Amino acid sequence: MFSYSFMQNAFIAGTIVSIVAGIVGTFVVARNYAFLTHSLSEIGFAGAAFGLFAGWPALLGMMIATSGASIAIGALESGYTKRDNVTSAISALAIGLGILFLALGHTSTTAATGILFGSVLGISRDDLWLLVALAILVVAVLLVNYRSLRQLAFDETGIFLQNWRQKSVRYIFLVMIALSVSISSQLVGSLLIFVLVTLPAASARYYTTTVIKLMGLAIVLALFGTWAGLTLAYLTNLPTSFFIAIIEVIIYLISVWQFQKNA
Amino acid sequence: MSIIKTKDFGIRYGEKIVLSHANIDVPIGRFFAVLGENGAGKTSFVKALIGQNQQISGDLQVNAQRIGFVPQFREITRDYPLTVSEFVGLNYNQGWHLWTNSSEKEAIQDALKRMDLLDIQNKRLGLASGGQKQRAFVAQALVQNPDLLILDESTASLDHEHKVQLLRIVKQLQETENLTILFITHELKLVSEFADGYLLFENGEATQGEASQLQSLTTRLTYSHFEDEVHHV
Repeated sequence: MFSYSFMQNAFIAGTIVSIVAGIVGTFVVARNYAFLTHSLSEIGFAGAAFGLFAGWPALLGMMIATSGASIAIGALESGYTKRDNVTSAISALAIGLGILFLALGHTSTTAATGILFGSVLGISRDDLWLLVALAILVVAVLLVNYRSLRQLAFDETGIFLQNWRQKSVRYIFLVMIALSVSISSQLVGSLLIFVLVTLPAASARYYTTTVIKLMGLAIVLALFGTWAGLTLAYLTNLPTSFFIAIIEVIIYLISVWQFQKNA
Repeated sequence: MSIIKTKDFGIRYGEKIVLSHANIDVPIGRFFAVLGENGAGKTSFVKALIGQNQQISGDLQVNAQRIGFVPQFREITRDYPLTVSEFVGLNYNQGWHLWTNSSEKEAIQDALKRMDLLDIQNKRLGLASGGQKQRAFVAQALVQNPDLLILDESTASLDHEHKVQLLRIVKQLQETENLTILFITHELKLVSEFADGYLLFENGEATQGEASQLQSLTTRLTYSHFEDEVHHV
């Protein structure tokens, strides 16, 4: 299976995406950002559609749209507005625009399905370098802000003195989620982002109890799903995203079931 | 020596005057109940103490090196994964590093011990009882070794037995460590057994009194929302 360069590329990309998704996902789940993450992936779809319409790489359009939207959501969410409602409004607008740009750009159905469902087996070496660079950026920024981020995600109420650093870390975090969504969509497509960003981290919560271990286990679970999914896709000729989704959902259901049984 | 001293102190929100001409003097090492109806200015006063931006006038002296604050509401769901000790250390950061270093560990252990949480330090906070959670919240505020500890209705969600247990521990901190306590509460009768004095916020004014006067306040302040208020947690 590894004699094919497309499989090598897919495994390398899958590994990178799983590591990023596991780390980001831990904070996403702790801060109840699962819905936001899902919406960002829809917004990413709009960005990719615009990118194709404008003749740019889809990933670039996606990164611009998701980063812009996450900053807008961060600025609009406050004590006066409910975050989910703000997110719904922005993502509704985005999906509408996405459909418009797909129509205007006469984008082929293949390109559209690629954005929505992922096209991991079509990843080239050049795409891979871009993924590596983005992944290093996201992980480095998250680790540099680790302590502030940990508190923001796991106990925001405890921050009673909001200094500039804590205020800025909210936005830094939102932009890093946006970039991770763009990266992950290369693998599983924008419709299935939460399969890698949310589910492994949500499952990890039931087995482990420190932030470092949560990140570690989320990475392991994401890697397992990705590697197994790629292998099964190779063997059966069925879509990779399908297998990754099924595996991560099964792991999640088992973890909830075991937790409820023991708690 | 006073830890909080105000002279002609006032707080406004735009046109609205929340507090005016307040002359408050809280000596170091005392346990003060902070009383008043919702919206009477208790929270605004506490925010002014911890230096959050507000329109303030007059004189406010706070002689505390560090202030510990235990907020009123915290949503900890059953699947909240962190252990009690990991939670207690969340906002205690001595520089940047991924893992908790030995001096941080020591401070966390000390706070756990002071709040009688050592035996459940490895328990998931989400699965801890209401009383244990409240003690963990106080422990988190204690990690930084504050000299002024402010608790915002920390007993509101607890049953009577756990209310008394929490107040006993806090009282002990005051007596053995000379820690100053400000306890925001609606539960006058309960707190009167532990407090040395009170600050009462009423009609835009603040008055101060001794513990002996708390009993007479209990009879005066009988509006329905003292004692019986239903708290949603």
